[in-house]
Amino acid sequence: MNANARELFKKLQPLIALAVMVIALALLSDKFLTFANQRNILLQISVNLCLSIGMTLIILTGGIDLSVGAMLGLAGAVAAGLLKSGFVLKAFGVVLQFTPFGAVVAGILVGLALGGFNGLAITKFKLPPFVATLGMLSIARGLTMLWTGGFPVTDLGPKFGFIGAGVLLSVPMAVWISAVLVVIFYFISRRTVLGRYIYAVGGSEKAAAFSGINVNRVKFWVYALGGALAAVAGLIVTARLDAADPKAGLGYELDSIAAVVIGGTSLSGGRGSILGTVLGCLIIGVLNNGLFLLDVSPFWQQVVKGLVILAAVAADKLGARQE
Amino acid sequence: MRFTRGIIALVITAGVCWRFPLFHVVTRKTATAENAATTFNARQFAETFWTKQLPASLDKTVKAAVLLSAIQSDVATAKRNFSRSVGLSEGYFYFVSGTGRVVAVLDDEISLAVTAGSTNAEVSLQTGLIFGNTLRDGTGLLNASDYPNSQDFNDIAAALNHIVETRVLPKLRGQAKVGANISFVGCTEVDDESADLKPLKVVPIQTEAE
Repeated sequence: MNANARELFKKLQPLIALAVMVIALALLSDKFLTFANQRNILLQISVNLCLSIGMTLIILTGGIDLSVGAMLGLAGAVAAGLLKSGFVLKAFGVVLQFTPFGAVVAGILVGLALGGFNGLAITKFKLPPFVATLGMLSIARGLTMLWTGGFPVTDLGPKFGFIGAGVLLSVPMAVWISAVLVVIFYFISRRTVLGRYIYAVGGSEKAAAFSGINVNRVKFWVYALGGALAAVAGLIVTARLDAADPKAGLGYELDSIAAVVIGGTSLSGGRGSILGTVLGCLIIGVLNNGLFLLDVSPFWQQVVKGLVILAAVAADKLGARQE
Repeated sequence: MRFTRGIIALVITAGVCWRFPLFHVVTRKTATAENAATTFNARQFAETFWTKQLPASLDKTVKAAVLLSAIQSDVATAKRNFSRSVGLSEGYFYFVSGTGRVVAVLDDEISLAVTAGSTNAEVSLQTGLIFGNTLRDGTGLLNASDYPNSQDFNDIAAALNHIVETRVLPKLRGQAKVGANISFVGCTEVDDESADLKPLKVVPIQTEAE
């Protein structure tokens, strides 16, 4: 196989894997190809897709973010709390009663701030991304418990609920939101200066710095955007459940990282794409759905998912070695 | 150029916030009143249920002696004829009443013999802390689908348990002496037939010493 064919095969790997899975599941389960099931798969992957778009940008710079699940939980809880109880300004004897739009904005700002904090810890204090975001995972989980008192915040109303449970042109709102984000961030990564800088930083930080790119600023914004996208995922989860669960997002970071890696983004940075991540999310979503339809034990589902991630990373490393 | 762009961004943001306000400022007093009006008050609901709805349904129980006899003959038939269950749960409930002689008084239960001539503990009235949904679901008067969310429905269970703990149990403990006759109305939940039916573990709603 010549170099071009090998490169093409490598790019098409996720798509081939997805096609094989879809054909196999269509043969094994008569429910798999139904409209309701396909819609369900899209709905289920929409949250992971929001997280994974941000994770892709972060991994493209050679970093990682283990706190996206915890940020998802905190952003959802803050939005739900502000919507339900408002924000009390004791000194003035008034309460800021948030509208659904205000709660959404506040939730996203919380995600942006937490992600920005990660960015600062990594760029200013030179903490390894693994450690900085692990710290944020614990901080955000603790803050979520403090904000909610450990109890779910429920009964958020139909207007807010529309984000997660609403339907537009027969397609769930959550799917619309994630689709719009895919388009926006595909454009940012491919057609803007920030996008080119992200690939450059991931390819070689030193070379990027020598060519005049402000590496720290790029990294800061990538982590901040990752936080904001985690917040959007948190708003979808909260709206869909009509409740902010303090434990929401537990373990979501693993699914997110898995989707990015399966989608062909290199863990060492510089290589990958948003479209690959979309395929990665679809593969994980179809895998989860298929194993469920085939009545495979949830314990085995975990094992299979782990093996798929290992295979994806091994394929990435093997490809890098061959190059 | 940068300054102009900043001003434009500020004007657009202000316009959006004016058209779609982020929040409304209200006094704490108004907010509290509005919150109270829209928040489901489980305690108040339980109080109304306890004083109005429940007394009218106390005659819809199965007699404990009849139930025990039916259980002894065939558990499945007794379950089919007298029990009620909620959703897809495998557990089920009996709304039960009867009169029995106290055969034992323990820290968190009072054992009664309810069939003629029996000296065995056949019904165990629970007198410790009350947990779970036995009272809420056992009467069959409350339906989960009537409530917008499960949190409100769970709060009702807690509020009813609290009423039993504070109003029914102190009186029952005072009446409980070995040899005394006690009539009761209550609910029992069966999750494990071998453990929960012998004796019947009843959460009391109403008790009277005879």
